[in-house]
Amino acid sequence: MAISLIVLCWFVYYPIVDNFLISTTEEDIFTGEVLHVGLANYERLINDPVVWRALWNNFAYAGLSIVFQVFGAFVLAATIEGLASDRWRRFWRAVYFIPSAISITVSGLLFYFIYQPKIGLLNAALENIGLGFLIQPWLGSEQTAIYAIIAMSQWQGFGYSTLLFAVAIQKIPRELFDAAIMDGAGPIRRLWSLTFPLTREMTGLMVIVTITGAFQVFNEVMVMTGGGPNNSSQVLGTWLYQQGFIENNFGYGAAIAAVVFVVTLLTGIAQLWYTKRRRVQW
Amino acid sequence: MADPDAPVTYEGTVSVLTKFGLEQLSPYFEDLAKKYEELHPGVTVELDQESDDSVKGKTKTLVASNSLPDIYFTWTGNWGHNFVRGNRAVDLTKVIGPGTEWGETFAPAAVKSFIYNDKYFGIPLYLDAKFMGYNKAMFKKAGIDKPETFDELISACDALKETGVTPISLGNKEAWPVVHYVGQLLAYNVPQETLEKDFDPKQADYSHPGYVKALKEFKEIEEHCTDGTSMNGTSYASALQAFSNAQSAMYYQEILEFDQSATKDTPLKVEDFGFFQLPAPADAEGDPKAIEGAPEGYMINARSSNIPLAIDFMKFVTSPENAKTLSAPPYGQPTAVKGVVDEEVSSPTVVEGMQDIAEASYLMPWLDTANTPHVAAAWLTSLQALAGDTMTPEEVVEKVREAAKAEARR
Repeated sequence: MAISLIVLCWFVYYPIVDNFLISTTEEDIFTGEVLHVGLANYERLINDPVVWRALWNNFAYAGLSIVFQVFGAFVLAATIEGLASDRWRRFWRAVYFIPSAISITVSGLLFYFIYQPKIGLLNAALENIGLGFLIQPWLGSEQTAIYAIIAMSQWQGFGYSTLLFAVAIQKIPRELFDAAIMDGAGPIRRLWSLTFPLTREMTGLMVIVTITGAFQVFNEVMVMTGGGPNNSSQVLGTWLYQQGFIENNFGYGAAIAAVVFVVTLLTGIAQLWYTKRRRVQW
Repeated sequence: MADPDAPVTYEGTVSVLTKFGLEQLSPYFEDLAKKYEELHPGVTVELDQESDDSVKGKTKTLVASNSLPDIYFTWTGNWGHNFVRGNRAVDLTKVIGPGTEWGETFAPAAVKSFIYNDKYFGIPLYLDAKFMGYNKAMFKKAGIDKPETFDELISACDALKETGVTPISLGNKEAWPVVHYVGQLLAYNVPQETLEKDFDPKQADYSHPGYVKALKEFKEIEEHCTDGTSMNGTSYASALQAFSNAQSAMYYQEILEFDQSATKDTPLKVEDFGFFQLPAPADAEGDPKAIEGAPEGYMINARSSNIPLAIDFMKFVTSPENAKTLSAPPYGQPTAVKGVVDEEVSSPTVVEGMQDIAEASYLMPWLDTANTPHVAAAWLTSLQALAGDTMTPEEVVEKVREAAKAEARR
C-alpha cells in the first residue's frame, strides 16, 4: 500500500507540482541557466492571442466531440441495440468500431490525403456531385483547418464511444423495455425516459473523457497541420510543444500545461459531482 | 574537457544523431557504422536517425535532458550557436582549423560556416543550396527557355499555364518552403550587411524597403506560378512528388533533392531534369549573385566520454571514399570534402549546382535557422498567412519586427 502510494506520488503528483514550479521559471536549455520569473509566464499567457485561439479550438473540439461522440454515439448505440437480429447488431458494432482501431497518426495522414486541395477525395467528390462551389483547401485555410481536423477525429473516435454505450445499454434489464412497450412508450420515449437515465453514469464518464481528451489533443493536429496555417489550428497541446521545443520557452510551455491541467481537473470534478447527484439506480 | 587531438582508444560506444532518417538516406550511416565496427571490433556505433522535421524537436529534448549523443547533427547560424553558447560542442580548431590535415580536406567556406567566437566547432558533411528544378520537356512543349530574369520567370509561368500544367508545385503545410523562397528574394533585395544586422534581434529594425519588395515578388510568383492559397494545405513532399510525376513544370528544391526528383523510375526522366537559380529581379538592391544555402554538419558533444573516438568516426565518415558514396546516387548529397564531386561520382546536375555554389558571392543562410527561434517562428507563421492572403507584405514585416523587439527585450 505504502509502496503504491509512493509510486503514485512520484509518477503522478510530483510531475504536476514540478510543472507548476517550472512555470514560474524561464530556462535556457542550452546553458542550463534558470531565471525565476514568478507569474510572468501567466501574464504573458493572458496577453498571447494564440493561447486564446488555441483555447477556442480546444473548446470547439470538446463541444463538437460531445455532440457527435457522446450524444450521437448514444443514439447510434441505442439504435443498434434496438435491432432484433443479434447478427446485425454485431455487424454494425464492428463497422463503427473499425476506424477506432486505426492509430490517430495514420488516420491523420489518411485524411491529409482526403483533404488534399488538388487531388483529395473530398474536393473531387464535391465537384462530382455539383457542389464545386464548396471546394476548399480544407487544411490550408485558416477558416477551415481546425474543423477539418475535428471532423477526422469524430470519424476516428465515434465507433469507440458507440461500443461503450452499447455495453451500457446491454446492462439495462430487458424487462424494463418490455414494460415500457406494454405501457405504450414509443422508441423515442423509451430512449429519452428509459435508456438515457439508465446510462447516465456512462454518459457522464464519456463527457469527462471527451472533454479531457479534447484538451489533450496533439497528434492529429501535429500530423495534419502542425498548428497552421498562421497558428489557426493551434490547440493548447501543440502551442505548448511549439513554445517548449521549437522556441525554447519551457517555462512558458509549462504555464500552458498548467492551464490544461486546471481546465481538465475542473471539468472532471464538475462532471463527477453532476453525475453523482443525478445517479439512477434500479 | 578531453583533448580532441588525444590518441584514440578504439573501445566503447559512439552514439550519433543524424538527419538521415528518410528511407532513401538512412542506409548511408547504417553502412558506415557497420564498416567502422568491422574495422574496430571493440567499438559499437549507435545510430538515431531522424528526418528534417523531427530532428529539431529530438535535439532539443536531448539537450533539455542532458542526453545529447557523442555526435549530433547541426545547421549553421543561430542553431549551431546555441550548442556553443551552452558549452555543448567541442572546440575542434586543433583538428579541423586552418593548417590541420583534416581541415585541409574540406572546402574552406564549408568549415568556416561553423566558426563561432573565432573557433571551429563543426564538421561539415555536405553543401546545400536552393535551385529551381524544371522539366525540360514541359518547357519545350510550352515553347519557352530557361528564364534568365524574374520577369521571364513570370512569363514562363503564364505560358506553362496555357499548356494546362501547374508551373510550380509548392506545398507549404510545413511553412518553411515559402520561407526558402523569401530567403532567396531577400538576398536579392536587401544588402548582406543589413540582413546580417537584422538577424541579431538587438540590432534589428527591418526598415529596408527590400523586405516588403521581396514579399511582393513572392506574391507575384504565387499568383502566376502556383496553385495559389491552397499551397498551405499541401505538404512539400506532395509538391516534390507532383514534380517527379511530371504533373508540374518546376519545383524549388535543395541540391540534395536533385537525385530524388528525377530517377530511372520517375515519370520525370533524368535527361529532362534541369535547374536554374531563382532569377533576380532587375532593380534589386541586394546581391544578385547570392544563393540561399548553407553546409550542414555535425558537432561533437563536449560532455562525451570518448571525444577522440567520436572525432575519429567523423574522420572516417568524411574520408574521400565515403564522401564519394555520399555524393553519388542514390544519396546525391554533395560532400563538403574537396575534389570529390565530379561527373564520375555525381549526377551532372549536382556537379553543375556545386559549381554555382562555388561561384556564389554570398550564401544566404536559411531564415529559420539564421534567426532566433522566436523570430524564425514569426517568419514561418506570417509567411503562411501571406501565402493564404490573410496578411499583407507590410504586416508580415511588422510582425517579424515585433518578434525581434520582443526577443531583444528578454
